Amino acid sequence: MPDITIENLTKVYEESGDEIVAVNDVTLTIANGEFVTLVGPSGCGKTTTLRCVAGLNTPTSGTIRFGDRDVTETPVQERNIALLFQDIALYPHMSVQENIAYGLKIAGFSRQERIARVEEAAGLLQITDQLEKMPSELSGGQQQRVALGRSLVRDPEVFLFDEPMSDLDAKLKAELRPVIEKVTDEIGCPTLYVTHDQEEAMTMSDRVAVINDGELEQVAPPKEIYDEPDSEFVSRFIGQPSTQFFDGRIRAVNGTGELVVGDYEYEVDGLGGWNGDEVRVGLRPQHITVNNDTDAGIPATHLLDEPLGDATHSFFETEFGEVIVVTGPDFEGDGKEYGLVFQSDSICLFDTDSGVRIA
Amino acid sequence: MSRNEPPGGVFGLSYDDESRVFEALKLLSTVIIVVVGVWPIYWMAQLAVTEYETVEDAVTVVPTPETFTLDNFSVLANPEMYTYMFNTVVVAIGTIVTVVVVSLIAGYGLARLSFPQKENFARILLIGYLFSPIVIGIPLYQIWQSIGLLGTRIGLIIALSALSMPFTVWLMWKYIMTIPEAHEEAAWVDGASRWRGFRDVVVPQCRPAIIAAALFAFALAWNDFTFAQILLPSTETTTFAPGVLRAMSQAQFLPDAHLMAISLVMTLPPLLFAYFMQSYLLKGFQVRAL
Repeated sequence: MPDITIENLTKVYEESGDEIVAVNDVTLTIANGEFVTLVGPSGCGKTTTLRCVAGLNTPTSGTIRFGDRDVTETPVQERNIALLFQDIALYPHMSVQENIAYGLKIAGFSRQERIARVEEAAGLLQITDQLEKMPSELSGGQQQRVALGRSLVRDPEVFLFDEPMSDLDAKLKAELRPVIEKVTDEIGCPTLYVTHDQEEAMTMSDRVAVINDGELEQVAPPKEIYDEPDSEFVSRFIGQPSTQFFDGRIRAVNGTGELVVGDYEYEVDGLGGWNGDEVRVGLRPQHITVNNDTDAGIPATHLLDEPLGDATHSFFETEFGEVIVVTGPDFEGDGKEYGLVFQSDSICLFDTDSGVRIA
Repeated sequence: MSRNEPPGGVFGLSYDDESRVFEALKLLSTVIIVVVGVWPIYWMAQLAVTEYETVEDAVTVVPTPETFTLDNFSVLANPEMYTYMFNTVVVAIGTIVTVVVVSLIAGYGLARLSFPQKENFARILLIGYLFSPIVIGIPLYQIWQSIGLLGTRIGLIIALSALSMPFTVWLMWKYIMTIPEAHEEAAWVDGASRWRGFRDVVVPQCRPAIIAAALFAFALAWNDFTFAQILLPSTETTTFAPGVLRAMSQAQFLPDAHLMAISLVMTLPPLLFAYFMQSYLLKGFQVRAL
């Protein structure tokens, strides 16, 4: 099975005379067997990108190749893809069995072959006892399993997911994630998964592609996206609770640079040659500690705690606005004054204008 | 019952009094419907099973054992009446098929394809309703005459289909818009062509709208008088409505009781059709924003 190559993909919509650039010059390669997630806020162009790969939308410019085959102009029927829709889109007038077998029926498989393949897929997805039911009799999670089965039996060249779990509750999502991974492993083709849920992106992907305003911000494995974000946007979007930002300034000291945030100085590597520049300081809430001594760090007034059992999310009011800190499970702030201490080796610095990572 | 409903207070009455007033009004409206709608049908039915000599000579309200007879239905064997009924059935079925097929395809086009002036095109369709059949009938007579459709059942089917089409095309258009496009896209992904997706995924889901459109076209074709009178001018090959009127004007050959018998027979199909299809019919007409 081939890889997917997306080259300089651009899609421009025209709406009442205005041109709207939905996707701007996106280039991305998905290797055979690789699971890549396209993640971004709503309206960022991720679904448009996927629909261009599927053949449901035609790109304004750029090419899409499956292996050596240029499919940019190929109709969706001839691309041999599987696509899971956000609204699941089972055929409501067909039974589960007929739904899964529909693609095979069009491809001209014999009745026997169809039944055999459906049963094999149903076994893998644990829906063998649902085959005679109608889609409306199934729960949301079961419906999505049926939709997976529909893709599984056809042995597609490319597997696409368009926010398939956004209508499911958190528990079902967690239950379905391993099923999706099992199915994509079973087929072993390149997979493009579109979601706005950074947790799905982090948990399932080989690589995560963060897209914002139609442009790719960063493509990297989940761990790298989390630890080494390329831009302020990526840092803010990935991770829950999200990265906290502060205004800082770089001061030249002894040939290298020193970060100044409020009244405190931090040593950060790679700041040579910078002096007096304003920067955005990003730090994960896990890398901030709360000290009872208000002089130990940035002064903060405790607002409230959200105990989660294994940890607590504590909200503080500071001169930089509201700051969230992940504290221990027994932490209770009681609205008192604290000092917030940064772990200086985890600090990321971003350009104030472009949002690009500096250090 | 009113206890569970939100307070109305229209008449400034207590809930119990209000519900009593409501019940009384409901009864009154039922009586009106029965008198206006059901009484003529009853009259027709009771005359149809009364001996025709009795009908000619006296006024009867309830058929008695002495006057009860089914002989009146022998009129159905009359070759002329048989032709009328046969023509009506052919025209009705032809109209239903034409209307359903054309409105499905037109409705799909309006719902799924974009072309310039689409909304205006749909609005222009409705202009057809501004003219009464008689206004369209005379020009149609001349056109049908010159292209050889005058006096043919096909000609009448086309004319009656055109009459139903504005409504049924709008119905299909709005109904198909309620079917998520993702259903079709899923079929395309599965390898189905646009036509196959339409046939396998859209049409089966349109069943309520198809039945509503069919019933609408049926009622129009079955009860049509004007077009049949104009476009099937020959007495020998016309449909039931004009045929029966012409037969009435020759009353010496057709007693009233026989007339009632054949009328009763012709009234039954629409009643049965509407009765058995009513659940679909409601679903079909329930489309929002129609």
